[in-house]
Amino acid sequence: MMANDIRPEASRERLLDVKGLTIEIETRRGPATIVDGIDLHVDKGETLGIVGESGCGKSLTMLSLMRLLPNKIRVTQGEANFAGRDLQKMSNSDLRKVRGGEVGFIFQDPMTSLNPVMRIGQQLAEPLIYHRGMSKAEARNRAGELLKLVGIPGAVERLDAYPHELSGGMRQRVMIAIGLACNPQLLIADEPTTALDVTIQAQIVDLVKELRDKLGMSVVWITHDLALIAGLVDRINVLYAGTVVEDAPVDALFANPRHPYTQGLLASIPKLSDQRTTRLSSIGGTPPEPGRRPKGCPFAPRCPLVEQICHERVPSLEGTGKAGAHRVACFVAQRKLEAA
Amino acid sequence: MSVVPVTTPAETDVEPPVSLWRDAWHRLRRNRLAVFGLMVVVILAFTAAFGPYLTPYDFLSQDLSARNLAPSMSHLFGTDDLGRDVFSRVVYGTRTAFLVAVVVTFIAVLIGVSLGAMAGFFGGLLDKIVMWLTDMTMSIPNLLLVVVINASLKSPISSWMEGRYLVTLNPIYRETVWVDFLLVFGSMALISWPPYARLVRAQVLSIRSRPYITAAQALGLTNRIILMRYVVPNALGPLIVAVSAGLGTAMVLESAFSFLGVGVNPPTPSWGNMISDGLRVWQHYPHLLAAPAAVLGLASVAFSFLGDGLNDALNPRGAK
Ligand SMILES: Nc1ncnc2c1ncn2[C@@H]1O[C@H](COP(=O)(O)OP(=O)(O)OP(=O)(O)O)[C@@H](O)[C@H]1O
Ligand code: SF4
Ligand SMILES: [Mg+2]
Repeated sequence: MMANDIRPEASRERLLDVKGLTIEIETRRGPATIVDGIDLHVDKGETLGIVGESGCGKSLTMLSLMRLLPNKIRVTQGEANFAGRDLQKMSNSDLRKVRGGEVGFIFQDPMTSLNPVMRIGQQLAEPLIYHRGMSKAEARNRAGELLKLVGIPGAVERLDAYPHELSGGMRQRVMIAIGLACNPQLLIADEPTTALDVTIQAQIVDLVKELRDKLGMSVVWITHDLALIAGLVDRINVLYAGTVVEDAPVDALFANPRHPYTQGLLASIPKLSDQRTTRLSSIGGTPPEPGRRPKGCPFAPRCPLVEQICHERVPSLEGTGKAGAHRVACFVAQRKLEAA
Repeated sequence: MSVVPVTTPAETDVEPPVSLWRDAWHRLRRNRLAVFGLMVVVILAFTAAFGPYLTPYDFLSQDLSARNLAPSMSHLFGTDDLGRDVFSRVVYGTRTAFLVAVVVTFIAVLIGVSLGAMAGFFGGLLDKIVMWLTDMTMSIPNLLLVVVINASLKSPISSWMEGRYLVTLNPIYRETVWVDFLLVFGSMALISWPPYARLVRAQVLSIRSRPYITAAQALGLTNRIILMRYVVPNALGPLIVAVSAGLGTAMVLESAFSFLGVGVNPPTPSWGNMISDGLRVWQHYPHLLAAPAAVLGLASVAFSFLGDGLNDALNPRGAK
């Protein structure tokens, strides 16, 4: 993608490294696996897109990194390193410094992710006072700058507004400003545009792109809309039922999708029209429920290429390209590549 | 951060911020019953604060030549069997009722909010203990508890104070009215906090799972800040409603206990002990019963109208 070429070559230093992360939920019938030994990594300055159907564990994976999982849901295995430190093992007070200070979050729903009874200026000031030790006046100044940075008209006057006085798009900009308040090294954006209409979605993507280039941070952008983030991300991980099934540079993924699920995803993007209503229409069936995962490949019940081995063993994510940069977890795809 | 542009005077088209509370105030003002309730409450509060200084008679001064007089211009509510001005006594009874209601509600809210907020926010064992305490307290009949407290504490405290007075001759120990009040405050607060604890706990439980709490945690804010600035303010609406209704309930409760002789005792006027006195002679001197009963009824209705009005005024906020 052109946009990526303009940016300085991302150094190959790992910022976030997640290995074998498993998340389970306690149910009446015992523990059920939601995320199954996931591997993820983000390099410094890199933008990773995470794509997958609703319920495949995207949000929980990100929340688990910051140890923010809801009740009854737990990380049972695996580790997550951020800038060389183990997030799962660090003390609560150290973790609080990472949260908001080094890793910024933008949440799915701008309508409910802001405190309804606090003025937005104060919500912006809160992390600045806490992490940067600013005085109230300094924090307010900086909050005004941040609102300006994310393109809110009348930024300084808006500091005294309550969330319900802003439109959805404006609220999402406020959320981005809050996520960026402390200059994080990593910004995690969890479907930040699903609640917005199409033109505003594109504006938000452009805004994050611009800010990323300006501030030089890494970004993880979660979505179920591949087309939306094509121009934003460097690399894409396709998630299915709590595992990464394909990991590829964005161009390679669009040009040459290898996992049958990814192929289905791409086929369901309308080529010329702007309507993205037919999400995944070309793949029949639904993903497995937690607790009812198939023994072998999790995609087997829906896969058009399924073979006997798929029901018996779980395919691992393996590098196939020259540098191993394009990895896929599918027996058939791997065999094809070996044959080629 | 150098890339951030310096703040410059900002652009146009900004509406003045309308506070959520101001919205609620506008809605409250459109509700006639609530406005009526609010007006009565304000008048009663004023009476409680300043009334006793403005009445033409002292509430204790007796005039045995003017006993059991019917209402007239010189005695608005007539006089009682000791020739005391009933209006002055009702006014002072308002002070008693407010003093008890405010102090009791304050203590009950303080206990209820702290316990309920902690139970809801931290959960686990703490939650279990708090809920057990609330259930325990609520399962004991109120009247029984108050009678037991009165019976077991009143005479020991009184005789202790008498003893101290004989030893020290300090007049503080002669004033036994405070023992009455202390017992009323204590026992009523003890039975009044559980509903607040339950309400706040339920509120906190529901607020705790809202996305803005996760968002606040993701900002690295401490539990204390999240509890104080994110959880409690969002639970405030229903709490204000409950407090308004609770003040009314506490007044009625004070009167009920005083009526039964386990609350504020004569000669300190309370609507309850006045009703109790009036009840004995109501066939001959109905005004002695009617005056305190009417004021008690008015106060109770006013607080309940105000509570309902606040409920309606504060609720649409959640729907936004
Ligand atoms: N609080 C919760 N309690 C119980 N189950 C949950 C909870 N949150 C998520 N889950 C379950 O965990 C699975 C993964 O949820 P997650 O929110 O991570 O999905 P997602 O990929 O973010 O989906 P979406 O695109 O809809 O946001 C889902 O099956 C969901 O039902
Ligand atoms: S491993 Fe088998 S079932 Fe799984 S995606 Fe590949 S072909 Fe389909
Ligand atoms: Mg999600």
